[in-house]
Formats: sequence, C-alpha cells, structure tokens
Amino acid sequence: MSSKESCRIELRTAIRQLSDRCLYSASKWAAEQLVGIEQDPAKFTPSNTRFQRGSSSIRRRFRTNEITSTPPTGVAYVSTPVMEEDEAIHGDFYLLAKSYFDCREYRRAAHVLRDQTGKKSVFLRCYALYLAGEKRKEEEMIELEGPLGKSDAVNRELVSLERELATLCKNNTIDPFGLYLYGLVLKEKGNENLARKVLVESVNSYPWNWSAWSELQSLCTTVDILNGLNLSNHWMKEFFLASIYQELRMHNESLSKYENLQGMFTFSNYIQAQIAKARYSLREFEQVEVIFEDLLRNDPYRVEDMDTYSNVLYTKECFSALSYLAHRVIMTDKYRPESCCIIGNYYSLKGQHEKSVVYFRRALKLNKNYLSAWTLMGHEYVEMKNTPAAVDAYRRAVDINPRDYRAWYGLGQAYEMMGMPHYALHYFRKSVFFQPIDSRLWIAMAQCYESEQLHMLEEAIKCYKRAANCNDTEAIALHRLAMLHRELDQPEEAAFYYKKDLERMEAEEREGPNLVEALMFLATHCKTQKKFEEAEVYCTRLLDYTGPERETAKSLLRGMRIAQSGFPSMDVEHFHP
Amino acid sequence: MAGVVKAPGAFAITPHKVSVCILVNIYASPSQISVPFPFSSVSQHNRLGLYLLALTKSCDDILEPKLDQLINQLREVGGLLDHWLTDHVTSRLSSLSSPDDLFNFFNELRETLGGPDSGVMEDDQVILDPNSNLGMFLRRCILAFNLLTFEGICHLLTNIGIYCKEAILSCSSYELRRVDDSGNDLESLSEYENMDLNLVFKKINEEMEARKRATEQVSFHLHLPKELSTLVEDIEVFADPKSEHNDKGRESSSYASGELLRDVDPNGGVFLRTNWQIQGYLMEQADAIEKHGSSFTLNAFELTLRLLQKLAPELHRVHFLRYLNNLYHDDYFSALENLHRYFDYSAGTEGFDFVPPAGCNSFGRYEIALLCLGMMHFHFGHPKKALEVLTEAVRVAQQHSNDTCLAYTLAAICSLLSEIGFSTTSGILGSPFSPMISVGTSLSVQQQLFVLLKGSLKRAESLKLKQLVAANHLAMAKFDLTHVQRPLLSFGPKTSMKLRTCPIIVCKELRSGYHLISEFCCEGSTMTADGAFSTAWLKNLQKPMGSLVLSQDNGSRNNSNPFLFFTQPSSIPGSVMQLVGSSYLHRATAWEIYGSAPLARVNALVYATCFADASSSSDAALVHVKLIQHLAVFKGYKEAFAALKTAEEKFLCVSKSRILILKLQLLHERALHRGHLKLAQQVCDELGVLASSVTAVDMELKTEASLRHARTLLTAKQFSQAAAVAHSLFCMCYKFNLQVESATVLLLLAEIHMKSGNAVVGLPYALASLSYCQTFNLDLLRASATLTLAELWLSLGSNHAKTALTLLHGAFPMILGHGGLELCARAYITEAKCYLSDPSFLVSRNPELVLDPLRQAADELQALEHHELMAEAFYLMAIVFDKLGQPEQREEAASSFKNHVMSLDHPHDVEDPIQSDTLLNA
Repeated sequence: MSSKESCRIELRTAIRQLSDRCLYSASKWAAEQLVGIEQDPAKFTPSNTRFQRGSSSIRRRFRTNEITSTPPTGVAYVSTPVMEEDEAIHGDFYLLAKSYFDCREYRRAAHVLRDQTGKKSVFLRCYALYLAGEKRKEEEMIELEGPLGKSDAVNRELVSLERELATLCKNNTIDPFGLYLYGLVLKEKGNENLARKVLVESVNSYPWNWSAWSELQSLCTTVDILNGLNLSNHWMKEFFLASIYQELRMHNESLSKYENLQGMFTFSNYIQAQIAKARYSLREFEQVEVIFEDLLRNDPYRVEDMDTYSNVLYTKECFSALSYLAHRVIMTDKYRPESCCIIGNYYSLKGQHEKSVVYFRRALKLNKNYLSAWTLMGHEYVEMKNTPAAVDAYRRAVDINPRDYRAWYGLGQAYEMMGMPHYALHYFRKSVFFQPIDSRLWIAMAQCYESEQLHMLEEAIKCYKRAANCNDTEAIALHRLAMLHRELDQPEEAAFYYKKDLERMEAEEREGPNLVEALMFLATHCKTQKKFEEAEVYCTRLLDYTGPERETAKSLLRGMRIAQSGFPSMDVEHFHP
Repeated sequence: MAGVVKAPGAFAITPHKVSVCILVNIYASPSQISVPFPFSSVSQHNRLGLYLLALTKSCDDILEPKLDQLINQLREVGGLLDHWLTDHVTSRLSSLSSPDDLFNFFNELRETLGGPDSGVMEDDQVILDPNSNLGMFLRRCILAFNLLTFEGICHLLTNIGIYCKEAILSCSSYELRRVDDSGNDLESLSEYENMDLNLVFKKINEEMEARKRATEQVSFHLHLPKELSTLVEDIEVFADPKSEHNDKGRESSSYASGELLRDVDPNGGVFLRTNWQIQGYLMEQADAIEKHGSSFTLNAFELTLRLLQKLAPELHRVHFLRYLNNLYHDDYFSALENLHRYFDYSAGTEGFDFVPPAGCNSFGRYEIALLCLGMMHFHFGHPKKALEVLTEAVRVAQQHSNDTCLAYTLAAICSLLSEIGFSTTSGILGSPFSPMISVGTSLSVQQQLFVLLKGSLKRAESLKLKQLVAANHLAMAKFDLTHVQRPLLSFGPKTSMKLRTCPIIVCKELRSGYHLISEFCCEGSTMTADGAFSTAWLKNLQKPMGSLVLSQDNGSRNNSNPFLFFTQPSSIPGSVMQLVGSSYLHRATAWEIYGSAPLARVNALVYATCFADASSSSDAALVHVKLIQHLAVFKGYKEAFAALKTAEEKFLCVSKSRILILKLQLLHERALHRGHLKLAQQVCDELGVLASSVTAVDMELKTEASLRHARTLLTAKQFSQAAAVAHSLFCMCYKFNLQVESATVLLLLAEIHMKSGNAVVGLPYALASLSYCQTFNLDLLRASATLTLAELWLSLGSNHAKTALTLLHGAFPMILGHGGLELCARAYITEAKCYLSDPSFLVSRNPELVLDPLRQAADELQALEHHELMAEAFYLMAIVFDKLGQPEQREEAASSFKNHVMSLDHPHDVEDPIQSDTLLNA
C-alpha cells in the first residue's frame, strides 16, 4: 500500500477537485477518510489529534491485534497520477454557476454555463441538469401518483444528457467525472452493461470518486459480475471490494478487508461503521454495540448506519439506550429515514405496534426503497395480527431486494401463523437459501415440517441438523433432534443428541427441564444397553433434582445394583438348566 | 399501501378522455332539434353514439388510443362528417391553452347532462341521461377533473399538448398524400402552426424531439468506442423465434409488440385505460393464453405486462397473468415465483369482481392461493405435491368457511385423482377429509375418489355453482365410464350388485351438463364479452353498415364480424362453451370405449364444427386426433396421413403435442404392418420418451408405449420377450387400476401365446380379457377378444373348428358394424381358415364360401399395407384354387403371396417424406 503521506496528498487534492465539481457526498467521504488516516504524533499538536483521540480504550480492547498496518504482500498498487486541472483560471461564469448550484438553483447554474466548453464547465452543466431533472422527477412522482400507484415520472433530462455525453465519449473529450455522470445516466436508462463499463473506466482513471464506486457497486449484483470487472489496483479498490463483499453477503471477506484498511485509516468512522455492520450480519451483537458506542462518542451527530445500532439495541432489549438514541437522532434530523426507523424500533420494543407502524410508514414515505423498514413494518403487522398487511409489507421488501432473507422468513412465518405450513415452506426454503448459516431459519423451517398438519419428521430432522451445525445459540435444535429421534424410535441417535445437548448445557451451565429429560433418557437408555456404570452416573446426577424423576432414578439405581451385585449376571443365568 | 384494498374502477382524466368528452358533447349537444346540427340523418347520429359506446367499453389493449388513431377511426365512422368531426375535436383540444380553459370546458360539459330531476323536458331535445353509459362516463370525467390538484391540471394541459402535437406530426404526412381534398385540412394545419400556445408548445416541441432521438437508437451506437458498442447488443432483442411459424399467436403478438415499440418511452402521451378496461383486457388475454397454450407468444405478452406493471404497480393482477403465461410455457420457477407474488400482494381478495363478504374478515383468502398452487403442481406433473397443497387448501378453506373455494378444491382433487395414477393415497389424504370420508380409512383410491366426487357434486349443487356442477358431472361420467361401482363397505348386509359399468349412468351424467348452457349467466360476469364485442366492432369499422347482410352471405366465419355486435347482445361465455364442448368430447371417448365407431365419429365432428372457436388448443387437437385415428382405422393410412398434414399445419407441432403423438402412433402401426421392424421400434422408443418427460409421467401414454413395444416384439417373433413386457405392463395396470387397459393387455398376452404356439396357455388370458370387456361394456374389444378366442380354438386342432366358427359368427355383427379394416380382415381370414380346416367341409362344393371372405380381406388389407395378413390371405386363396384345380388363378395368388412375403422380409427403402421428417425432428 502506498504510504500514508501519499494517500493524504491524493485525498487532499481529490477533495478539492470533487467539491469544486459539486460532487459533495464523494468529497465528504474522501474527507472522512483523510482525517481517518493516523497522524504522525510528532508533527502535530495535541489539539490537532484530539479528534482522533476519541478512539478510547474500548477500541483497543476489541482491536484484533496483528493485522494492523500490515499491508498485504505481493499486491502492487498502481499509482494513479493526480489529475491536472485543465482550467487553471476559473472562469467567472463557473464561479457564478457554482454558487447557484450551491444554492440548489440547478437550472440557473446550467444556464449560466450554456456556452462554456471547458471539461469542468461541461461536467457541471450536465450534472446540474441531471440534478434538476431528478428534483423535478421527485416532485412529479408525488403529483402524478395515480390510483394504481402509477409513478412513471422520469428524469426528463436523461435523453439529451445521454446524447451529449455519448458524443463527448466518442470524441474522447470526456473526463472521468463526465464518465461518472454518463454511467449514472446509462444506469437510469436501464443500460446496465454499458453503464458498468463506463463506470469502470471512470474509476480506473480517477479512483477517488466514491460516488462512482457506489454506483458501480449497485450494478454488481452477483460475484460473477464482480469478477468480470477489469479494475486496476488502487487502494480505493479495497474500499470498493470490502463494501461489495458486504452487499454480496460475504461478510467474513468483507470484514477482513475492512480490518486491513483500518491499518491505514485507523480513525475512519466510515470503516468503523462498516465493520459494525459486517459484525452485525455475523450476529456478533456485543461487539457491534461497543463499536457503535465508540462511534457515537466520536461523532455524536451521526445518523447514518444508526438504524443498525438501533437493531442491536432492540435485540438486546436495551430500552433506555434505544430511547436515548432515538432522542438524539430526532434532535439531529427528524426527517431522515434512519431516524424514523429508530423510533419505530423503539415503539416496537415498547410493544406499541400501531405507533411503530406510523414511524415505519414515515420512513418509507421518505425512502420508498428502504428495505429494512418494509421488513420491520411487516414484523409489526405480524404482532398486530394483521397478516395480510404483513405479507404485503414483506413482499415489497423481497421485491426490492430478493436476497433479503429476513423478509422471506417473515413471509414464511406469516403463512405459518395462518395455518398454511406447506405454503410457508416455500418461503422458508427461500430464506435458508439466501442465509444458510442462520440457525433460526432452519429451526423455523423444521418446526414447519414438524407441525401436525404436515408431520414430515424426517425432513424436520434434516433441518434441525443443519441448525445444529450452524451455531444454534438458543440450543433448540439438539433437544428437538433428540426428541424426534426418540419419537421415531431410534434410541441410538436420540442418545447421541441427548448426550450432545447435555454436554452443551453443562458447558453453558444451564439447568431446567431439558436437562432432567436428557439425564432421564440417558439413564434408562444406558441401562437397557447394559452400560451400568454410565447409567449410574446419570442416575446419581438425577438425584440432585426434585420431582418424580428423582424417585425413578432411585428405583433405577436399586434395580441396577441388584442386577450387578446381588445376582449372577445374565451370562450365568444362561447356563442354568 | 399494505393491506388496503383499492377501490375498483379508479379513474383518471386523460387527453383521450377529454376528446371522448368532446365527442359526447357533439353527440348530445344541448340543441332543440332531434337530429343535432352536424348530423344529416338519425342513423348517422346513432352510429356515432354506438362508436362512443364502444370506445368507452372496448378493452383490446392496456393503453388508450392516440389522437391519430382516434382520428382514423372517426374517419371510418363519420362518413361524410369526418372532416367536421376531426376538425372540431382537434380545434377544441388545441383551444385548451390555459388551466382556466379546462375549467370552462368541464363546466360546459355539465350542461350536456340532464339533471336527475329535470322532469320537464321538451320532446325533441337531446339530453344525456346521467345514468346511461355515456352519461356515467361524462360524470366520472367531471368528477375526476374536480378532484385534480392544480399540479394535476397543469399536467393534464401539458399532456393534451403532447397528444395533439403527436397527432399533427403523424397526420401531416397522411394529409399530404390526400392532396385532392386537402384544402380544408391544410387550412386547419396552418391554423395549428399559428396557434398561440406560447411556452407550453415550445416545451412540448423540445420534448418531442428528445423523444424522437431516443427512439432512433442507431445514431448513438455509432458514436461509441468499440469496446462500449459491443455491449449494446444485449439491450433490446425481443425477436421471438417462435412467432414466425405461428399463426395463432401472431395476431396477439403483432400488435402487442408494435404497441410496445411505440410506447417504450414513457415521456408522456402514454395513458392507461380505466382499471375496468384493463381488467377486461387481462381477462381476455388469460382466455387467449389458455386457448392457445404454448403457441401464445411468451415474450411479447411479457413485455406488455412489464409495461403495465411499470405504469400501474398497484395492479396486482398483472402478476397473475404473468403466472399464467409462464405456466403455459412450462417455466416452473417463474410461474411459482409469480404465483406467490400475486397472492402475497392481493391476499386473494383482488379483482374487480371481488365483493368483500358481509362479515369482512381480515384474514385474506389465501386458500385460493393454495388452490392455484395445487393446480400448478398438477399442471407441471407433481401429483404428490399437488395433493399435499390441495389438502392444505381444504383445511384452510374449512377453517375460514370458504365453501366456494372448498367446492373447487374438491373438484380439483377429484380430477387429480382421476387423471393421475396413484397406487395409494395413504398418508396423503389425511385428517381434513375425515368429515367427507367418514366411512373408513381402508378405502381404495378409486373408492375415495368416488366419495369425493359425490361430495364435491353435492357441495357445488348446494352453492349453485353451475359451471362446477357441470364439470363435476363430466368427471362423474368419466369415473363411471371406467370404474365398476362396488359397495363401499366390505362388511354388513350386501345388496346384490352386478359388477358392471353402466352406460346409461354415463349418458345421464353427460346430459346433465347441458342445463348449464341455459343458466350460465348466474356465474361470471358479462363484462368481458361486452368489452370484446366493442373491441371487435372497433376493429372492423371499415366495413360499411349497408352491406352487413352481404358480408354475412360471403361466408366470412370469423368472430369479429360486425354483425355479431348486433345479433348477440349477450353471448355465451367461452368457459361455458368449453364445458359443453368437452361433454361432446367425453361422449366421443365414451363411444370409442364402448365400441361404436359411428357415434364416436359423429360426436367428434359435432365438437369440431360447433365448438372449435371456444375450445382450447389441446382440446381442438384432441378432436382432430380422434378423427384422424378414425380415418386410419377405417380408411387406411393414405387418407390419415393426408389429414394429419392439414392438422399439423393447423396446430403448432411443439414437443409433446397430441398431434406429434398421433403421428408417432400412425407411423408405428404402418411400420408394423409393412414389416419395418427397426423403424417401428424406433418410433416406439420415441413414444416412450414422450411418456416420461421431464415434467411428469403420463400414465396413459406410458401404457401405450409399452403396449406398442410388446406388439413390436411380437411381430418380430420374439415371443418370450414380448410376453415379459406385456406381463409387467399388466402388473402396472393392475397396480394403478387401469382396468380398461388391462383388458387390452390381456388380449395381447393371449395373442402372444397363440402366435408362439401355446394356444392352451393363451386361452385363459383371452377369457379373462373377455370378462373384463363384459364388465366395462367394451363391446368392440370384446368382439375382437372373441375373434382371438376363435383363433385360439382353431389352433388347438381341426376338431375345434366348429366351436371357433360358432364363436366367430357370434361376433361378426359387431366386427363388421364397428370394427376397423384390420379387424374385419382378420375375421374374414379366420372364417376362411375355419372352413378350410373343418374336415367335413369340401371346398369344391362351395368355393365362394371361402373365396369371398378371402377376397374381401385382401381388399381391405390393401389400404393398410398389412403384408403379413395379405400374404396369409393369398396363401389361403392359392390353396383353395389349387384344390379347385384352377392353376392360373392359383399362380396369380401364389405370386401375390410371394410379393407380400418378399416385401415383408425386405422392407423397401422408399421412405415417404412424413416419416423421414419425423425422425429428423425427433
């Protein structure tokens, strides 16, 4: 990896260039990474580094030790020369246009630049037109909403933009920013292959534009497409890969990429949040919570990614922390989909599902394609016993992203609730297909098979086995497996699973009826198998518990002692005449 | 949004509706004369009225017509008035240049409507009844306009501008061609140019140009760097390779794709018809998909649906249509996906005909989803899965007390059980059926089916679901045709039952379907029919009204005859026609089984002539198959193959179509007769492959394939192998309760043993077959079993010739009356053999007694090219002539014999086009 200093220089130039072209979110991203790079403490006064100091003890606690700042060997990074500015002297018109742009008067900005021919001016003009079209589109979407949900509003600038950019592209008078915009336009027009190609060209010649990378990411929906991309090796590519791995549910790969990057960008909030998200997908909630707490300490007005944090708090049932978070985001920005979603989560945790639905709806009004809000709203409707509405909400989530296993799972649950286990199986199958490592999904499917209507126990056993193999935290699978095998009259298998369950309960120091049941079965099973010593161990353990089992254990023990000591064993009896 | 059922018939005001409003205003202008100003006669006035009516009802597409289409249609309708009408519409439209003009326009419209209480009316004044069709339309338009926001009105204005401009652009070229009477038009044209529509039009012009550029995508590719342009190829390739060979789907596809190419760009000017009309369109398409099966073009319709979904994402029925489309194109995964999607969104409560039940429960009606899913699995040939799903449907329907759905589900289960061979249902048909099958659990599949059928019929009758009742009657008839009714209880007092099927019951069941045709209107809506006629009428505007009778006389038989629009105010829905038609098909099959060839043929012909329009493609193919088979059996292969050729042209010869199977069957039989054993085996193997395709095992076809396999082996004189195949086939038939087939197999076994020289072993098989035939009233098969029995007796020795002859004479009436060429010939030859082997029979005394049947046999066999039997006939003839001492005729017969034996041994290599064609294809 190139040195920190060169990275810093690259980023500084990029930020200037990006914000000069009004690509604000890309420049924001670059700036975040810039300050994320660890400073040389010798050169800076403490006040400079204070921002980074927040990194606290907690981070050190969870820091995975060795990977820090060891760049992967053998990867040669190309150094892309920082682009030369073509117009050293900014035209006055450009300045005017940029001010208009900053005031969100896009059309005016475009009009000012109508006769300018410099690459930069052309880009800004096109970009302003594009945004103007987008703005009008958003407005029309609401104005034109018909009775059947018709919202075919389109960006009316796309056609002329595409034509112009195509001409520029042909004449080879287009800069990487123009290519980015061209890619954007092509994507909107549905020409995905060409868009991908153009965007790759853009990021190869100017890798610091994160917006271009994100557009490219949204166009790579499978690993195959990703592998087909011809990307040159720049350190920005690592960010891209990390992000797309997460999108493609390759969480471990994504995590390791991010942790690698953290070696260089030690204090990047962005990377920290991404790591948290990846760990959330891996269901490591404890760590996620710590990371987010840390993140909020450094960046208290952050709203991005906070919905993930609220999900964690929800799962851990931290009422007050969740309410605190909700309060905080609503003071920061009330009309962000994330904020609404967090509040929805809070109400849901409080059991006020109607209110929760109101907030999820608001989140969806702000962003119709907000995936998790649809799914969460589905959950709320399930709680409210309004299954058709729940099914509808889940289905919308699935149609937005067919890989959303939570929504598939929700659909399955909804149908199971309505007493249609066979129909529900279709959805469970879908959900385990997309997330085969989640034991809860397998257990849900198994329970479906187990239901009295279907009673397909063999299939249920298969599902439970899968669940047991993927870290079943609630330890349902092993117990059910043992029970099912007992029900199917397969004592050997039943004993095997009871034993495993027992070991597990011992390891986790759990007690309860399951433990007694396991001991009871094992004791009788060992006795019939003539493994008296083992049986004795189980029986003695049973004596610690009260209830009828204790008596049974006592009588078992007595019987065994008589069989063992008092009387000749079976073999001897055999020889009796 | 979630869980909210949209009000049906949502209505949005569009430029097209505005122009219809203008026309209505012309039609019913508030004037004092009975025939308002521009019209010269009442009929002209009426014609415009009819046209407007059709315009508001027709549902031939999802999109509203453009102005130029409207103008063209007006040209057809208006006759002499056309200039005036078009001018009026266009100028009125283009005079709407500000929002205020629109307000005024709709205010004016209101005056056209008579008030609800305006009792005082002058006789000759034209006032539109607010409750008439057109009045309602006008009122809805006014209401929709009043509900618009100011932004909405602005959009409407812009859209009207685009709508006009487009028409002018496309019209101008048209107008230029008609120079002769252009004076008027040019004037109006220049009027537009001068029109002061200021900014609005400027903007529109820009948009139009942009749009034009968008459609000429060629230019853009040329400007691309090479690597980029290689990518472009995959953007729009919609060409459907199928549609070229396909006449049936063409009409539907051509306009669909044409429509799309034009409208792919949604920049404006694309307006959906009303919800009502779209639903009608979708229903029509659903019918069309079912009717044309896989010859319906997949892609073109899929494109229409995609467009529709884009324009109306809340119209969930689109997903259902997509499911149907995929279903009939055998795309399992997409079909499954779309089915689930549809029911997830609609909860089974969508559709314009859906009336929420009084006690509106919020559960949704997901049992319908289960029913559909079950039917889908059935269609794809997963009977076990289908049964599981349908069982769940029964349970859920019972839970939610949805009796209608329950009745349909039961009917579906019945057809599943009857069509697909289950050896046992234990463990599948479980608890939910206990209220219906309360008798016991030890019932056989057939008994369960019977109980279910009865229950389903009763339920359908009590719910007054006419179509379902009729369908159940048909299913019942089918059951009675092939099953003996046994008592359900194996204990208790037994009434003496004669173990036979009862043709009378079958007939009764088939007949009871007819009541349907007079009572159909209780179920289903007439909306589609209405819309369809409007559409048909609009499409045939060019036919002048005066020559209606003439055009009828010309014998144009197509459905879209304008005459129909007037003569059939309410037509019979297609589904009813289909049901009634299929009862004829059932009859034909019944008579086929009972062995009455003429009756079977008559019924098939009735179906082919009367129900061809309404029938689905598979049914139509089936009836053709029946007729062609009849030809082959009674007229020989030449005619059959000629008929097959026309049938092949008519039906798309896709894989596993009935026509293809028929072709293979005919080829096999001919190959057997001619002695082309290799070919026969090859064809037979192909049949076997078709029987167990990827989707499912077709039991009927599988039985037939192995039957033919056994027959081929028999002809090849590999008796033990043939017997083994036949034996295993019999086992299978027994297992799956295919009793009619069992009779055939037993008869074949008897033949095998006879030919292998074990007549004694053959006898019990023949007798068993006879008793099966008796039980199931299979008269023709029984006659042929009797014939085989006679042959068996005969081969036992000459002293049994008398017995054989008596048997034969008993069967002769049936054989000669209904039997095919081969059967008759065999009977004749056997008769001759009986006489000849009878020691007491002297040839010289009565030679014609032997020679006559032999000649008959030889004649009939000629058509079949059955060399083996022909050789036998000539051999016998030669012997007779020899005994009679007529050496010349003896030599003649002997040489014929030699010819046939030679061609049997060396099948000549002259292949005709049909079979080589098949082998290449297959």
